[in-house]
Amino acid sequence: MKKGLIKKIAVAAAALCFTMTISSCGKAAGTGDEESVTVGLLHSLTGSMAISEKAVSDAEKLAIEEINTAGGVLGKQIKFIEEDGASDPSTFATKAEKLIDQDKVVTVFGCWTSSSRKAVKPVFEDYNALLWYPVQYEGMEASENIVYAGAAPNQQIVPAVEYLIEQGYKKFFLMGSDYVFPRTANMIIEAQVKAAGLEVVGVEYADMEQTDFAAIISKIEAAQPDVILNTLNGSGNVSFFKQMSEKNYTSEDYMTMSFSIAEEEVTAIGPALLTNHLVSWNYYQTTDTAKNKDFVAAYKAKFGENRVTSDPAEAAYINVYLWKAAVEKAGSFDVDKVIEAIESGEISFDAPEGMVTLNGDNHHLAKPVRIGEIRADGLIYEIKSTPAPVEPDPYLTTYDWAVAAGIQPLE
Amino acid sequence: MDTLLKPALHIEKKSRRGYHITFAVIAAMLALSPFIIEGTSLVQFLGKCMCYAIVGIALDLIWGYTGMLSLGHGLWFCLGGYAMAMFLKLDGTNGKITDFMQTGGLTELPWFWKPFGSFPLTLILVILIPALFAGIVGYFVFRSRIKGVYFSIITQALTWAVYSLFMANSKFTGGNNGITDIASIFGKTKGSANRTNLLIIFFITLAVLVLVYLLATFLTGRKFGKLLIAIRDGENRTYFSGYSVNSYKNFIYAMSAVLAAIAGALFVNFNGSITPTQMTISYSITMVIWVAVGGRGTIIGAVIGAFFINLCEYNFSSGILVEAWQFIIGAIFCLTILLFKGGIVGIVRDNIPELIRRIKNRKNKTAKEAA
Repeated sequence: MKKGLIKKIAVAAAALCFTMTISSCGKAAGTGDEESVTVGLLHSLTGSMAISEKAVSDAEKLAIEEINTAGGVLGKQIKFIEEDGASDPSTFATKAEKLIDQDKVVTVFGCWTSSSRKAVKPVFEDYNALLWYPVQYEGMEASENIVYAGAAPNQQIVPAVEYLIEQGYKKFFLMGSDYVFPRTANMIIEAQVKAAGLEVVGVEYADMEQTDFAAIISKIEAAQPDVILNTLNGSGNVSFFKQMSEKNYTSEDYMTMSFSIAEEEVTAIGPALLTNHLVSWNYYQTTDTAKNKDFVAAYKAKFGENRVTSDPAEAAYINVYLWKAAVEKAGSFDVDKVIEAIESGEISFDAPEGMVTLNGDNHHLAKPVRIGEIRADGLIYEIKSTPAPVEPDPYLTTYDWAVAAGIQPLE
Repeated sequence: MDTLLKPALHIEKKSRRGYHITFAVIAAMLALSPFIIEGTSLVQFLGKCMCYAIVGIALDLIWGYTGMLSLGHGLWFCLGGYAMAMFLKLDGTNGKITDFMQTGGLTELPWFWKPFGSFPLTLILVILIPALFAGIVGYFVFRSRIKGVYFSIITQALTWAVYSLFMANSKFTGGNNGITDIASIFGKTKGSANRTNLLIIFFITLAVLVLVYLLATFLTGRKFGKLLIAIRDGENRTYFSGYSVNSYKNFIYAMSAVLAAIAGALFVNFNGSITPTQMTISYSITMVIWVAVGGRGTIIGAVIGAFFINLCEYNFSSGILVEAWQFIIGAIFCLTILLFKGGIVGIVRDNIPELIRRIKNRKNKTAKEAA
């Protein structure tokens, strides 16, 4: 009898679930109404990327809220629909299509990983929609329908290597997770280091989920590099730096320059393990601009005092404002007109990282580059910055050594 | 465990007719859907769901009927997917090397990708590669009489191995990006301008789904199907009755792999990319959940489960439900395994006739009382 009851309840629950599914099929959001306009947010809310992507979607929501308080865009309040990419590129593609075609959003802010961006790229191109991508990446891409607010390689990797060469480092060891960003980054670094007449003494890749770095560390010991260029992603960093410190290695023994460690990751790895190591980004929480003071204060006020701002979060925040600027220049939410406005090359924004300008040819941002040092308080402090914003060059066509090494797009 | 599936045999004939009618209704609804649904994204998604349904049928054949739980069908799905994706990619680059090969430092197309420049060869290889691969693996596995949980572990390990291989050789396979930025066989399918292309591939997929359903019900409705069930419920008895159990198992395993590969090959036409995520073990287990929730050992259950779970996921887009969804699906799966071995199909099959009888009785009663 009791089992029968449980069964009945379960059937009822399943029926409810099913009805909800069917009923939600019919709901359409539409482009908004007289007073509002709807945008899409597409990030992983579940799965392995959820923790990282939360920071960027929070930053986007903060920007939307600020714009709404200040009167909206073209007099309309911004509403947003959030979709879950579930850390799976195919789900990203499905949900991107749903946002554009079914929910009829005017634009989408989203993605983090290169694989998710590559999976949604044809969707945005074929529907002629617009994606605002907030993360530094490996370059070699410039789509009409995407705006890349993170650094291209020449705004993060190339200046970092230039800095190391300037500082007199001679033997470079390249280490990264095994996926497209580290592989492309290392291809660029090798070309650059060799062109400077210096030496790459080792290239090692770790699996995405690798936790044992004993083999790689012993290869580092054997190669005796001056500096390790680290493109490990996620949990690999925790294991690597922990195992380095277990051998009592500090930045004085092996200096590292990391490209995927921002404030969020420093907190996760533990500042003690990272003290005095180097990173390269366009923005730090400590960046000294008036705009940044407001941004950090607003971010902490909205999401909690213990949250930190980071480069990707700041780029996501920029994206919303750049979209607003482009829409206002176009005088319309129409994608073709907004792209036209973007391609005028006149869209810029006084961002927390400094003035950024949207390059009309390749849809990347001209932005300042900052070499930073991690300190014991868990924050990153700028030790060198470029005097002016660096123009984006995703294909590295303006660098002779890169052209000579054959780094260029396919025909 | 399998005694609980036995009622399926008792009332089989009657339920079978019900299954066929249900499938006919689903197929008819699918056929009409592109003309009712506005826009292309939902049509696109239903297309993907049909591919999932084909994988579901493939899994049901070996799990529901033959009792071999494969936790690695993502592998076969991806083999088909990568084969078709590479053809479509090379179609786009005119047979030259692709972006990820260039990043990896290649200057020429590797020899093993060369056959995928031709469409007929690709079609043959989509079927041949998984058939041979699964055939060989199956030969050794079944000859050693590996079954039950050990079989599941082997399928998992195999999938993990190939997954690692694809991830590590990014200059040949695109690494964790997979093969991206591809159109369908008939050109672009996204956006209203490409609706015709989408409809062609949609109806081809529907036709394949119907054919696969017919093939599966044809096979399982005959002596062959009874033998699969016999292997499931009493492998040794079947063996000692003089049947070559290994060959049957090997055949159905290879066939299941081929069906999954065909689904994968169709899938990339809708998805526009194939990534190793579809090859992960968690994704393969998701496939098993479709079949379990829909109702295993019924064929139609796999179709219903694939559509039900994926449509739920599609609609739980944001808010609290998204984060809860993983738990909900887990709970549904546990409940199904503990209480409803027959899944959705089982619930309907076991309760609806009873319900109809009661309603009829009540009607009779009221009719009598009135008289």
